[in-house]
Amino acid sequence: MTERDATAALSEEKRWRLFLWPPLIVSATLLVIPQASFVWMSLHKNLGMGLLGSTLTLENYARALGDAFYLDCLWLTFWLSLVATAITLFLAFPAAYLLARSRSAWISFLIVLLLISSFVTIVIKVLGLSLVLGQEGVVNQFLQWIGVISVPLRMLNNQSGVIIGLIQYTLPFLVMLLFSVIQTIPVSLEEAAELHGAGRISTFREVLLPLALPGLIAGGLVTFNLNMGAFTSAVLLGGGKVLTLPVVIQRKILLDVDYPFAACLATELVVLVFLFNVASTFFIRWKTRGASQVR
Amino acid sequence: MASVTLEAVSKGYGNHAAVENFSLCVEDGELLVLLGPSGCGKTTALRMIAGLVEPTRGKIRIGDRDVTRLPARQRNVGMVFQDYALFPHMTVKENIAFGLHQRALVKSEIDDRVDALLSLIRLSGFERRYPEQLSGGQQQRVALARALAYSPAVLLMDEPFGALDLKLRQAMQLEIRRVQRQLGTTTIFVTHDQEEAMSLADRIAIMADGRVQQHGTPEDIYRRPISAFVANFIGKLNFLRGTVRSVSGPCCAVALVDGTVVEALMPVACEVGRSIQIALRPQHLEISFEFAKSSGLRATIEQRRYLGNVVHYFVRVSDNQVLLVERPDAVPWLAVGQEVSLAWRTENALAFPDRDSDGRAGI
Repeated sequence: MTERDATAALSEEKRWRLFLWPPLIVSATLLVIPQASFVWMSLHKNLGMGLLGSTLTLENYARALGDAFYLDCLWLTFWLSLVATAITLFLAFPAAYLLARSRSAWISFLIVLLLISSFVTIVIKVLGLSLVLGQEGVVNQFLQWIGVISVPLRMLNNQSGVIIGLIQYTLPFLVMLLFSVIQTIPVSLEEAAELHGAGRISTFREVLLPLALPGLIAGGLVTFNLNMGAFTSAVLLGGGKVLTLPVVIQRKILLDVDYPFAACLATELVVLVFLFNVASTFFIRWKTRGASQVR
Repeated sequence: MASVTLEAVSKGYGNHAAVENFSLCVEDGELLVLLGPSGCGKTTALRMIAGLVEPTRGKIRIGDRDVTRLPARQRNVGMVFQDYALFPHMTVKENIAFGLHQRALVKSEIDDRVDALLSLIRLSGFERRYPEQLSGGQQQRVALARALAYSPAVLLMDEPFGALDLKLRQAMQLEIRRVQRQLGTTTIFVTHDQEEAMSLADRIAIMADGRVQQHGTPEDIYRRPISAFVANFIGKLNFLRGTVRSVSGPCCAVALVDGTVVEALMPVACEVGRSIQIALRPQHLEISFEFAKSSGLRATIEQRRYLGNVVHYFVRVSDNQVLLVERPDAVPWLAVGQEVSLAWRTENALAFPDRDSDGRAGI
């Protein structure tokens, strides 16, 4: 390539780059303006009927962080998200591994199914679950039929229902994400481990897991973030008894018409999730600094 | 150290047989090269010995042990992979120690062994580097050390130098030979490069279509190929077509397309009337100006290529075929367009059944 060609290619690339601006501006506008107005709102006193006080105050934050009820809600949200994320990782990894390693012609078909299932609206999914998980639902009937349980399990309107809902929503995303992670790990590494004397467990622990770890962390964080913000599963499968932060925020808006306090809780949620992500990333950097230095 | 025996091993994928009826014995301490074109089943054969692929039929023995159904980790083999397969998250030392670590050796023993291996592959001082910080040749040597660390019964190498440039490749060939001689590890080396095979092997097994076509020392295979395929695969080769006129012992008289009658040896017996090809190495062809000689074949010099130590002449023989003649660099050169006569010694002309008249024999 001559110098002039190179310059031409560069300016060509620059021109194409212009097409990145409109979507960037649109999405930044749609993200920044509502978020900023939330933060702004959260700094005012609620005068009822959607009216705001005229002076800036931290009163809402003092209430959110001082009241045990709201701290419990926060803790519950965090805990349910964490448990659901752990279970989802546990379920998704073997499936993703199998999909990535199998050479069967069925694999692309299964991936398409996975993709389609992730397109189904969450409301539809959750309603389906509430049919299946009920006292007279298929799951309970089956478990009773094979004799594992004698009394139907309570899987709706409680925390387990919410966790199941969260898992069902995030599982296809995580399987697809981990599928692409495992595909980047050459199968010859596992073969080399086995050949040099490692059993299945050692191969997993010493080769596969360390190499998949950055992907597992990223996938885990995506899942965790989705869970923290999940509203539909918590409302519909929690039956109003599982008060996660998104549910409380919705109640503050619809029942109490307390916009400033709802905005304060929303800001709190976003900031905490953000901090959690940053902290995890730093933790992983620190843990894997040896290997990541040379990547 | 141990010998490796494969008895009538086959591996099929669906309807396609990757390896068929493959029998081979690799002696203790020997370096055997499996040579063949891509897709001939040589890698599958190697992976069956490693235990990464399970054979459909047949038996594999390492030493006296039948390992056919044994998992790879229990076979005590070392392998250097085509892409090296070094663990990217481990240092050079951790990579080399991997097999020792799996065998639960004590730390001091592992350290001593790794040090010895690093000096064997001349990479002392590199133990704390990561694979990405090494050049291709260095990675290759680490992969070799990792495979040799626990003194495996057999060392397997799957086209290990494919990604290296020519100079490095040749240096690594010497290195492998040196290390292998020093340790006396039975080694099976897979390649499609005939020069690499010739320079490394104690014995070569030539594969095509999932079978061993011929095995023997490099000299054996070069001088006494048993088929046109083998002859053609090892070294440069010219072919002349003709029909068998008469047979006397291992020799035959062949009528070429233009009617000239020449003599040739038959590694495989051919009956009178059979169409055959005579294989001639470029360096076995003599060029002279005498047309009268009985075995002389008339030719015209079409092109000359000077390569330094040798000169290549492309000569057109009368049936419109071009042959390559390799002569030492000596004056006077022959001029392009000059009419000459080609001659060769009967023992250097090998007659093989024609591929077209007998598809299997040629391949």
